[in-house]
Amino acid sequence: MPELTSKERITRFFRREPVDTMPCFSGMGMVTIQVINEMGIRFPEVHTSAQHLARSAVLTAEMFGFDAAVIPYDMCTIPEALGRGASLYENSEDILYPTVPSKWETHAEVEIPGDFLSRGRLPLVDEAFNLIKSQTDGNLALGAWVLGPFTMAGQIVELNPLLKGVRKDRENTEAFLDRMTDLVIKAARHYETLGVDYMNIREMGTGSDLLSPKVWETLIGPNLKKIFDAVKIPTVNHICGSTDLIIEMMHACGADAISVDQKNNLAESRKKLGDDALLLGNFDPYGTLVTGDVSGVEPVIKKCIDDGADAVWPGCDIWPDVKMENMKAYLEAVRKFGKPATPAVGRI
Amino acid sequence: MDVTRKKEILDKLAEAVVEFEEEQAREWSQIALDEGMDAFEAIMQGLAAGMETVGDLYDQQEYFVPELLMSADALYAGLDILKPHIRAEDQKNMGQVVIGTVQGDVHDIGKNIIKLMFEVGGFEVHDLGRDVPLEKFVEEQMKTDSEIVAMSAMMTTTMTGMKKVIEMIKEKNPDVAIMLGGAPVTRDVADLFGADGYAESAGNAVQEAIKMISNLRKLQEKA
Repeated sequence: MPELTSKERITRFFRREPVDTMPCFSGMGMVTIQVINEMGIRFPEVHTSAQHLARSAVLTAEMFGFDAAVIPYDMCTIPEALGRGASLYENSEDILYPTVPSKWETHAEVEIPGDFLSRGRLPLVDEAFNLIKSQTDGNLALGAWVLGPFTMAGQIVELNPLLKGVRKDRENTEAFLDRMTDLVIKAARHYETLGVDYMNIREMGTGSDLLSPKVWETLIGPNLKKIFDAVKIPTVNHICGSTDLIIEMMHACGADAISVDQKNNLAESRKKLGDDALLLGNFDPYGTLVTGDVSGVEPVIKKCIDDGADAVWPGCDIWPDVKMENMKAYLEAVRKFGKPATPAVGRI
Repeated sequence: MDVTRKKEILDKLAEAVVEFEEEQAREWSQIALDEGMDAFEAIMQGLAAGMETVGDLYDQQEYFVPELLMSADALYAGLDILKPHIRAEDQKNMGQVVIGTVQGDVHDIGKNIIKLMFEVGGFEVHDLGRDVPLEKFVEEQMKTDSEIVAMSAMMTTTMTGMKKVIEMIKEKNPDVAIMLGGAPVTRDVADLFGADGYAESAGNAVQEAIKMISNLRKLQEKA
């Protein structure tokens, strides 16, 4: 029998205190189509109602046995609050996440309203967090995420000039990323005041398939460090894509945990960072839960743990169109192989 | 043209692309034309050869996406000058391409680089842009009778849309070649969806496209 509530398990986990068993959670979207169907709604509707957002997050945790609820699901809430709008694809029969329909051409044009936290759908997300808390008696952990400064910049400014600016217009790019960093801190601290239990900063547009390790060290890392210094609740530094070359720099930014995707050589990362680092990762959620056969799930999850993950995290959002049996196999495998202590977290 | 001079011009064009020197690309493209060099040869053996080096440098993790984009700008600078002077016979048999990122996806860097490579190769490119409704790919392919449809999806959440487009196009015209690109697309996924080619990321897209261009360059050398 579990000795801890989900919230206690995750709280202790981030403090690297012994837990009863490995928590099963993520810092990214986890809503699935089974949940959407059970609610009797269409996927686009979930993003525009606090009740739907809260209910779907809680139902996902209950249906599969996750230790946390994480919202929101789309990456447009802040860009929308800054005035860039959101394409919701309300008439599409496919599962499409909202996107930003129009970006600023250059960062010189970007304006950040002082009251952006009360614009667009952000008040709705706040309401959803409060609803989740009231619906779960405080037993479920509550996770939030905000894009990192560079990735956020890429959501509101055209990527081509932004990326070239890293080389051609360094001074102005640095100044702009400072503004983005302040924005991210403001959003993250706001979620902190709402009582979320952990904050995942997703700086996924900065892996070594996009930016050089040198740029990462001088332009990306320092801003992430500022964020992790400013946020008091447990933090996660998440980057997907190629991270082997920057894993030590990610660790030096000071987040409580690091999350990477399947492109990372986790066993090597564990060696580089030592046993004290909280490492989260690193399976391919699409290949494992959507397209793969159920028989392949357990070995994938076991490998994450064998490679030194302290908790098994998907490398990205869990794509909604998962197979039910694969999801069950994933959670069962975490419970089965997550009993012994992991490198950074002991057992009660 | 003197062989040494020809080599010098081609080297300068390639160097301009590798070193992101847009002005140098313009200047030496004009010199190539002024001195009577064949425009298609200047593109393929000069500018495209430079892009091949850029692909290698990306492969060796010397260059990253900002560098690829700056090289692409230099290549465009030269291409704008040389392209109007390509002889009609060199434009034959290259064909047409429909390209775009699928609905739900607004990331178009990989798509734009692939588009550039097709343009370098002498293809007529029909660019549908980004966040393109699936049926638009099918409509445009039928309207233009293009031989290739190239689709990009940066995010896992949109790539299944590509499967539908492939099914729709192959049903109407099985001979159309389909290329997929984007970060979450792997060879397995491309196979699963019934596509004919794939490129994994913006950088890999360049490599895939460069391979294609390399083959064209070799053919041209033989001719």
